[in-house]
Amino acid sequence: MSAPAAPVSRPGSPTLEALRMLAHNGPAVVGIAMIATIVAVAAIGPLLYPVDPYSIVAAPLSPPFDEFTPQAPFGTDYLGRDILAGIIHGARPTLLVGAFAAALTVVIGVTIGALAGFYGGWIDQALLRLTEFFQVLPPLLLAMVLVTLFSPSLPTIAISIGIVSWPAAMRLTRGEFLRIRQLDYVKAARAAGARNRRLIWRVILPNALPPLIISAALTIGVSILFEAGLSFLGLGDPNTMTWGLMIGANREYFLDAWWPVSIPGVAIFFTVLSVSLLGDGLNDAFNPKLRRR
Amino acid sequence: MVLKTFASAAISAALALGVAVGLAGTASAQHRGGTLTVGIDGPRHLNPAVQSGNATGTPGTQIFAGLIELDENFEAQPYLAESWEVSDDGKTYTFKLREDALFHDGEPVTSADVAYSLDVVKNNHPFGIAMFGAVEGVDTPDEHTAVIRLKYAQPSLMASLSPVLLPILPKHVYDDGQDIKSHPANSKPVGSGPFKFVEERTGEYITLERNESFFKKDQPNLDRIIFRIIPEKDQQARLLALQSGEVDYFPFSGMNARNVKRLQDDPNIEVTTKGFEAIGPTNYLEFNLRHKPFDDIRVRKAIAHAIDKDFITKSLHLGMSTRLDGPLHSSSPFYDADALVMYDVDLDKARELLDEAGLKPDANGTRFSMTLDYPTFHPESGKLVAEYLKPQLGKIGIDVTLRSSPDFATWANRVASWDYDATMNSIFDYPDPIIGVHRLFLCDNIKHVIWTNTAGYCNKRVDELLGEAASATDVETRKKAYSEFQKILSEDLPLIFTNEEPYTAVYNKRMKNPPLTVWGGMQAMDEVYVEDGQ
Repeated sequence: MSAPAAPVSRPGSPTLEALRMLAHNGPAVVGIAMIATIVAVAAIGPLLYPVDPYSIVAAPLSPPFDEFTPQAPFGTDYLGRDILAGIIHGARPTLLVGAFAAALTVVIGVTIGALAGFYGGWIDQALLRLTEFFQVLPPLLLAMVLVTLFSPSLPTIAISIGIVSWPAAMRLTRGEFLRIRQLDYVKAARAAGARNRRLIWRVILPNALPPLIISAALTIGVSILFEAGLSFLGLGDPNTMTWGLMIGANREYFLDAWWPVSIPGVAIFFTVLSVSLLGDGLNDAFNPKLRRR
Repeated sequence: MVLKTFASAAISAALALGVAVGLAGTASAQHRGGTLTVGIDGPRHLNPAVQSGNATGTPGTQIFAGLIELDENFEAQPYLAESWEVSDDGKTYTFKLREDALFHDGEPVTSADVAYSLDVVKNNHPFGIAMFGAVEGVDTPDEHTAVIRLKYAQPSLMASLSPVLLPILPKHVYDDGQDIKSHPANSKPVGSGPFKFVEERTGEYITLERNESFFKKDQPNLDRIIFRIIPEKDQQARLLALQSGEVDYFPFSGMNARNVKRLQDDPNIEVTTKGFEAIGPTNYLEFNLRHKPFDDIRVRKAIAHAIDKDFITKSLHLGMSTRLDGPLHSSSPFYDADALVMYDVDLDKARELLDEAGLKPDANGTRFSMTLDYPTFHPESGKLVAEYLKPQLGKIGIDVTLRSSPDFATWANRVASWDYDATMNSIFDYPDPIIGVHRLFLCDNIKHVIWTNTAGYCNKRVDELLGEAASATDVETRKKAYSEFQKILSEDLPLIFTNEEPYTAVYNKRMKNPPLTVWGGMQAMDEVYVEDGQ
């Protein structure tokens, strides 16, 4: 009767098999390698390239790989700040916002979805209405309002993104709970005397995790784009160099200089791409229909 | 190149001569007709009597006429007033009004309308008191004579009678007991200017059409003016609208230096910095003098020594702006470069001054931390300079945190409630320092209102000098007072002036006779015409 309690780490379990599948999935491996590189840049890049991303190092809008400005290999922005320093120092806050917002999205979405799916009835109806309320509001608009209410700073931006993007995770979780709660092992656990709390967190949730992990991975990418969007609209935190902020601040100069916008743009592109590749890989790996082909 | 330019200049001169000689008699008829499209920020409403700023002022001055107009030398020229006399003591101004001037609804413009309008502006305009506080009353001995009586001579009075500052409102429309600030006619105005209001689509456009019974004969030239609402901050949209010919004229372009350079290369577009003389936009770093350590003059001087104004004007503004070292814009007749105390860029000196003030660096090299706000409008001055100051002041050990505001109201509230350490700020000096400049420095103007003395600066000598300058009638006395004022301000540094704002007007060359006197687009465009079939 202990089987349902710890389904994730048994030898030969579906999880291990999924990981094996993942290792044989070319695009997913590329994605993982890219994520590892980006995380490494975020973690130790600032130590290896200690140029202050706010200091003015050369003439404004110096082009990349210019022989006159060897101190700024990726060129400079509209103030004369080093783009390479911005990319390296901006990696950490960009990823942190993405990860934190995604974590918050999942926590809120899973909690509400689990309660709604497990209890059903009027609780489900009430929580569904709440979710729909958030769903019908345009997320970017709502996030703008929230950031405006509190002053723009990295935590408030991450929280705002989390608050507006949880409905998808909620619906996914609710669906999984509705399905799983009728399965035999749940009934068995209930018959063995498991309380609701245990049923939710220890019995059903672990079995609902695979699609949630995939969605969480994709949410990181979406959150990074979201932060970039807010910064693009001028609602970023001016004291934290993020890639989105670089794009937003430099776009007025785009007709004169492509690099201050395009280089962070490419960085965001590859980050989101790597997370998406990993998410797709996980999806394939956890999909029983694709297994053992 | 030189030859070619010369040749083309010669040809156009010859052509112009030909036109002038051949068609002299019918010149104005030749220019009649056509539609001009003007790009502006979205105005709250169209009544400049109770709303300052160019979004209202540009369409407002087409709809409303004033007593006088200023020419390019700040001299008053007849408009609704055909002549005037000033008494020897400078306290009585007698205006003779034109008898043929009509409001757009057909009612005549009378002295009662003048008296009413002045009263409205004095009591409702943001700087109504600064402009007309000295006015004791307006007498109306007959329908076409208005006598403005002053408690004391006020040299700025004539400039304050410009249509953008004192538009003549029809008393019979506005004086109906409703609050003038929210009067419905502010959005459907009736004036006596060259163009009549037709319709407005909020956030999209405002249409005006020719006032067929305008009192200036054969004016205006244009059949129609369409104001397209394209916010100043949407620079790319403005650029494209102008280059595609969708908009002919942005009187207050707000273009950043690089876009200006781009437009200068466009053969169809003209860029000018003329027409802002009466506006005199200045940009500065304002300290909240109540907050430590900004109460210490050594700290303010240290910061002044750390700011490289030439970097701002040359590198950030590509030479489109001018450095500013004192409280007056250099276009002001009272500007005195010799009186100003200058601060050379000297980071060691700055550090020394901070040491003296007892602000020693800690282990990280930080002496103190401060928050720097910046306004949402005109990012080319506020935001850009603030972003430059962050690393620059970091070099002398000041840790600057930038605080952005999501909208104008948020920033204005922070500054007006004195809830800030320092902020970038900018004001218009307007044609006379009495109107635009005094408000920032007078002890009794320390208020919870934006663009008053929010810094909290109070210097009795400055009050004396400004009082002297506000009541003296002869220019020399005023000049002397303003010279000492500029010396004290650049010595005391309650504000660190950084640059004159790089304002530009941009227009398609098919627009002729652009309004480029001291008020730029905030004056009647009755002589403007468009070349058709370009």
